[in-house]
Amino acid sequence: MPIELPVHERMYSGHLACPGCGAAIAMRFLLKGLGEKAILSIPACCWSIIGGPFPYTALQVPVLHTAFETGGAVASGIRAALDARGDTETQVVTWAGDGGTFDIGLQSLSGAAERNENILYVCYDNEAYMNTGVQSSGATPTGAWTTTTPTGSPKPTRKKDIMQIMAAHRIPYAATASIAYPEDMVRKVQKAVSLKGTKFLHVYAPCPTGWKVPSEISVKLARLAVQTRIFPLYEVEDGVRYTINLEPVGYLVDEYYRTQGRFKHLTREDLDRIQAQVDENWERLKALARIG
Amino acid sequence: MSPVTFRSVRDLPPMSRSADTMLWNRTGSWRFLRPRYQDKVAPCAEGCPAAEDIARVQILLGQGDFEAAWLRIREENPLPGVCGRVCYHPCEEACNRGEYDDPVTVNSLERFLADHAWKLGLTPPPPEPAAGGGRVAVVGAGPAGLAAAHFLRRLGHEVDLFDARDEPGGLLRYGIPEYRLPMDALAWEVGLILNDGVRFHGNRRLGGDLTWDELSGYDAVFLAAGTWKPAPLGAEGEEHARDGLALLEAIRRGETPEVSGKVAVIGGGNTAMDVARSLLRLGAEPVVYYRRRLQDMPALPEEIHEAREEGIPFQTLLAPKRIEPLPQGGFRLVLTTMEILEEDEGGRPRVVPSGHPDVEVEVDAVVTAIGAGPSEGVPAEVAGGGGLVSEGLHLKRIAPEGEWADRPPVFVGGDLVNDRKAVVTAIASGKEAALVIDARLRGRDAASIWPSIRVGRRGGVSMNRYLGGDRAAQQDHVVRYDELNTIYFRFQERRERPRITLEERRTGFDEVKMRISASLALKESERCFHCGQCDQCDNCYLFCPDVSVLRDLRAGTREINYDYCKGCGVCVVECPRNAMVLEEEPR
Repeated sequence: MPIELPVHERMYSGHLACPGCGAAIAMRFLLKGLGEKAILSIPACCWSIIGGPFPYTALQVPVLHTAFETGGAVASGIRAALDARGDTETQVVTWAGDGGTFDIGLQSLSGAAERNENILYVCYDNEAYMNTGVQSSGATPTGAWTTTTPTGSPKPTRKKDIMQIMAAHRIPYAATASIAYPEDMVRKVQKAVSLKGTKFLHVYAPCPTGWKVPSEISVKLARLAVQTRIFPLYEVEDGVRYTINLEPVGYLVDEYYRTQGRFKHLTREDLDRIQAQVDENWERLKALARIG
Repeated sequence: MSPVTFRSVRDLPPMSRSADTMLWNRTGSWRFLRPRYQDKVAPCAEGCPAAEDIARVQILLGQGDFEAAWLRIREENPLPGVCGRVCYHPCEEACNRGEYDDPVTVNSLERFLADHAWKLGLTPPPPEPAAGGGRVAVVGAGPAGLAAAHFLRRLGHEVDLFDARDEPGGLLRYGIPEYRLPMDALAWEVGLILNDGVRFHGNRRLGGDLTWDELSGYDAVFLAAGTWKPAPLGAEGEEHARDGLALLEAIRRGETPEVSGKVAVIGGGNTAMDVARSLLRLGAEPVVYYRRRLQDMPALPEEIHEAREEGIPFQTLLAPKRIEPLPQGGFRLVLTTMEILEEDEGGRPRVVPSGHPDVEVEVDAVVTAIGAGPSEGVPAEVAGGGGLVSEGLHLKRIAPEGEWADRPPVFVGGDLVNDRKAVVTAIASGKEAALVIDARLRGRDAASIWPSIRVGRRGGVSMNRYLGGDRAAQQDHVVRYDELNTIYFRFQERRERPRITLEERRTGFDEVKMRISASLALKESERCFHCGQCDQCDNCYLFCPDVSVLRDLRAGTREINYDYCKGCGVCVVECPRNAMVLEEEPR
């Protein structure tokens, strides 16, 4: 079955993303889902670089490059300014990396969500501070190598559950999406912009450079993350109604972990532990979907 | 596209604001691997002795361009309506979808396309006149002769097509029953071949009034007279048995042979099935006797299955020993009980008498269908097989020695030479003969062309490739199942073609397999993976992080913009059908 997406193209070639960049693919899908009138606010992240240096841009929509911790606040400000001018049509979108969302920008995102600002906040998650050279973030998964969690002592703790944090704000819409499932992602963008209030999208965007994988399997890895239940596709409405969008095949996590350089130091026991975590998360998600 | 330059501080905007796009940045220079579109060979195409470009046919069918799909088949096989009914479809056995759920019903889709063209009265474009053609005699107007005549004519040669019988078609017309291949369907397709300007001469039997003197006046001869002479039964009283092929011919000619009551049909091939099932339809009670087991029968499993469905009993491990006429009429058939001696590797197992008592049955008639050999007029060099040299996969030639040294080259194909005697292998013979004769008459060396026109390592030869068509650009790699990205496919049930009721089958010669509707054909065609062939699914375009796949939606083409493609290779991995390749960047 061919994948059907809107035909418009609002991104230019010539941008500075590494070959196979998941964040570049994610941006294309976001723009396909957005209407004609949109403003992006981009706090410090890979896309601050990818979009091109002054005086250039790789996007056909207005972008405001802003400071790391301000994703939620700047979008709120743009929204207020537009509203003051009577422009309720233009969508305000924050496009932030996992560092700017899970860690550095969390307070400003939480504030915007608490106020239920009418914005769409999209976090493209490549699971570390990739732009500055692969430092561990709150989104880095258990056992991963980064320059700040070297193979001798890889990240011991779990990936922060940003979806639960956002759901706890009882915002109208939060959803996960993946570059391997474009139709699902575009539908979620379209659904988000149709709703009023704070909308949050958590988009899985593999980073071949930081994950130490060949660039060509970027999308394949994103698909494996979904199919292993490591990154399930689901939506949360009003913070309580959970819907799982795709029933994963349920491959073992090995399928996903074994292909990546950042996990190559993991032992059988480590993988078993990770499998148990993934299974636990999945069961919990299914339980939430049942009661929602 | 050049970078923006600011000549002085005054040129700078009051705040940093973009003034141009990143298009000046030709990121193609980063690339050390280069993705490329590359069509490959689908396993069905390699499996088809006629080398039909099945994946491309399915793409065209799926786009609703039934005429183009039909013409695409006809590039390699002028008899899709026949093959869509009677072919043993090795394409389906080779189908990669078989490893996923079930093979695509290529055979019924082939028939759908031919029937569509027939119903609409479509005609292929006339052959283009070509200079330097020769005169070629084709002896035998069965599938091999018809295919040879068709391709020779299309290649610009004059063709005289001779046959011992009054009408063209050979075994298709006189040996396959109406319920498998209706006469009007056959006549339409044969008519298209003759319409190209093939001169048909009926009632000209080789060894009768068709002589080698006359044939020596041609530039080349293709001999495909088939095998019509019944093989001896080797049983006492075998003169009391009737020849199954002759019976089928009589029925095809509209005669009603006088057979009734219990009839023993001896044999386990397709002819035996055809005879038994025809007898059933005439009101007789056929019983099939076969010297080996059911699973050893050379008949198509489908034919055996349908015969049994119709209620025809099968008696196996019984070999005829004696046929005795009975005073009150009818015969006593004495059969030796057999047992399997050893499993032959690859071939059929050997059987020997088991030593158990003989079986005796009283029947009203005995009909043999145990195979056939060349008729009397066929030269001994061919009939014996000793005087032949190989010229192709399904083609031989009478060695130019003795009296043959002074004659034009005589190529031999079809059932006279093929190990697997089938309609599609006969068509392959005809095509190979046309290629070899054309190459010869135009001073090209057929043997050196052969490797480049063969589809896959084990497949047949392609006329499209011989003529320098688009298949010549195909990489000769046969796509394996594990080379597909099957995540983009969904389980979908194989849709078998409907059949008429058992009651209708037992009482009349109506075609058993019904025509499928266009919507069913489109649904079934959706199941095709299009292995190795771009069907414009656009995954390459969608997943490109660098917006470097350019589409021309109107022309239905796409190309990679190497100015910006960074060579990440995502398009190649996400191509569901392995129609792309990632190569080292040329320096």
